[in-house]
Amino acid sequence: MSNYITGPDVVKYACSCGLLKPITRLYFCRHCLELRCGFCVCHEVDSNYCGKCCENLPSAEARLKKNRCGDCYDCPSCKQNLSKRAATVGPKNPEDPKATPRKVYYLLCLNCRWSSRDVGIPDQAAATGSWPERENVHAARLQEIIEMYKGIVLAEKQQKMEKDKKKQRRFMTFTDRTGITASMLRKRIGLPDIPHPLLKPKPKEPEEAVAKEEVEEFPEELLTKPINLNEITTLEQRLNLPEWQPTTVDKLFPIHKQVSVKRSQRCRACEHNVSKPEYSPTSIKFKIQLFAFYHIPEVRIFTVEPLRAGKQCELLLKFSNPTQHQTVITFLPLFPSEDSFASKEIKELVPDEEVPSREIVIEEKQPPSLPGSQPSSLLHTSLSRTPSITVKPRPIKQAITANVELPTSNFVLLPRDDAAEFDDSGDTHNIQDDTKLVVWRKSNKAVIRLNITPLENLNIGDEVVVGFTMQHIYVNTITAVESKEPQRYNNNVKVFQYLGKIVGSE
Amino acid sequence: MSKGIKIVSGAIVCEECKLRGDVTIGGGTIIHPSASIIAEAGPIIIGENCLIEEQTKIINKAPVGQIDNENVQELIIGSNNVFEVDCAIEAIKIGDNNVFESKSFVGNKVTITNGCIIGAGCRLTEEQTLKENTIIYGENCNMREGLDRPLPQTLQMDTLIRMLPNYHHLKKPNLVNNKKN
Repeated sequence: MSNYITGPDVVKYACSCGLLKPITRLYFCRHCLELRCGFCVCHEVDSNYCGKCCENLPSAEARLKKNRCGDCYDCPSCKQNLSKRAATVGPKNPEDPKATPRKVYYLLCLNCRWSSRDVGIPDQAAATGSWPERENVHAARLQEIIEMYKGIVLAEKQQKMEKDKKKQRRFMTFTDRTGITASMLRKRIGLPDIPHPLLKPKPKEPEEAVAKEEVEEFPEELLTKPINLNEITTLEQRLNLPEWQPTTVDKLFPIHKQVSVKRSQRCRACEHNVSKPEYSPTSIKFKIQLFAFYHIPEVRIFTVEPLRAGKQCELLLKFSNPTQHQTVITFLPLFPSEDSFASKEIKELVPDEEVPSREIVIEEKQPPSLPGSQPSSLLHTSLSRTPSITVKPRPIKQAITANVELPTSNFVLLPRDDAAEFDDSGDTHNIQDDTKLVVWRKSNKAVIRLNITPLENLNIGDEVVVGFTMQHIYVNTITAVESKEPQRYNNNVKVFQYLGKIVGSE
Repeated sequence: MSKGIKIVSGAIVCEECKLRGDVTIGGGTIIHPSASIIAEAGPIIIGENCLIEEQTKIINKAPVGQIDNENVQELIIGSNNVFEVDCAIEAIKIGDNNVFESKSFVGNKVTITNGCIIGAGCRLTEEQTLKENTIIYGENCNMREGLDRPLPQTLQMDTLIRMLPNYHHLKKPNLVNNKKN
């Protein structure tokens, strides 16, 4: 696992959007049986919370507070969390012998040791809240402008509503019949005309900003005085405080901590969630987590012989099955020359195969996202919704620099068994393996041998990339209404391996 | 105990620490096990109430090719300094009330005055003299000036003075504190 965090990604899977990503970065939508990555799912904000105090903020409140936490602060100097520190000081009136020492609180950054005392913020008597807020000098003007725009938006909305109303009118009103409107009537009686309640006066426009011609004198001392870099803020520090943009460090004030969001990801094709975190900010668990790592067999590079252009060499790949169901892996060419032909062939092939689990019924995958496709048992009427977007598969832009000799036989991967690691009884599986293909196997893992040939025209130092389509049997555990049996499908995943660079010939 | 090592009474020096060469340790200083103080190019003198934690390496190392017996350079470390876990110090001179955070490195061309903080993982290698109350922090060794010196770790030191003798063999002090007498 650690390799996925730190190391280079040597095995990548093709997402349905055409991007290549390591398996840990992919989701697997089990409703449309497609790989999805962070770029091809809908991201939705579930909740706002502060990462420091772990408090939930309702979205309206978060908007009001400009997406910042009211109690927690970030260091204006280095952006780390500020922690509250307690200190004891002498009593207010030292003459009084009964007075006890007071506790005061100040903010301290444990990374750069910036403290609220550095800029002269007085120590607080209470630990929470009550830190002085700084008022923006332009706050009034900004408020004015915001209000003006709000007024404009409202006026536009009303205009639209009026228009719609006029269109909708299908019936006769009293005024229509008599030809006298309410305002005419009022005038005739001699009452003042009341303005229409919906037609508010035009929003008040704030004073226009005026360009000044006189600017401040150029301070001579900028040229004469040596600069003390310790007193000047960095660009980053200035931009962290956009309202003030202080130029000297004595004007750095604590920044309210920005709130984080918990988001859920939704498949764009079928609108099912592929990832949904638990609501509580303190929880790191998920309600729904359809990560590809838990559904798609994982491929790792075991070893590869030195790569030489045009020379065949051996590649050992380790496959592991993360699911609770046995699967069969078949190799198919990466880009079938005739798509329909290839899939037809599989259809015929599969029932005749010497698959140990003979009884299983394998159905051709029919993504429910394709409108007009034949109804299959996959279309669980209760579960699937009408797709919002039909996501068309996009081409994969990855040059393949080696040919792989695809084995004609397939192999079985046993289900994952967490207890197998502690089982001393040895491997008691009785699976008839093609010894040419399967080199080693243990519990849910198997190492297989592939022969690859890097292309002739590669130079020393060129990257060797091979790819194939891995077909595996995916057992969908969503219980359908019509059939209680879990459904089995052939799922095709395109897998790419980055094997390294061409070395010189012997 | 090899000769040349002088420990003033009141210092807590664990047996498992590594002291080499001419090392003088002031009263109230605490040296954890597996800290190493190596006086290679000249003597090392450590002041009072310093805290030297595990894996600290304080080395008096002469610049490459300058080892000569005539020009002995001594490394003087002031009082109330804190050397946190796994810091490596080869400085020319260290004043008082400095903090060397974990895994920091101070090269052999650096002079440190008083009240400085070298942040965790920061490396100082170029020839320089740090001004008083300088704080070095972060990945890029950003520098800023602190308001005053860092607070001494009195509470921690008191606990260590109480606890360390219960669980570790100590080197016996061989010098009496002259100031008190």
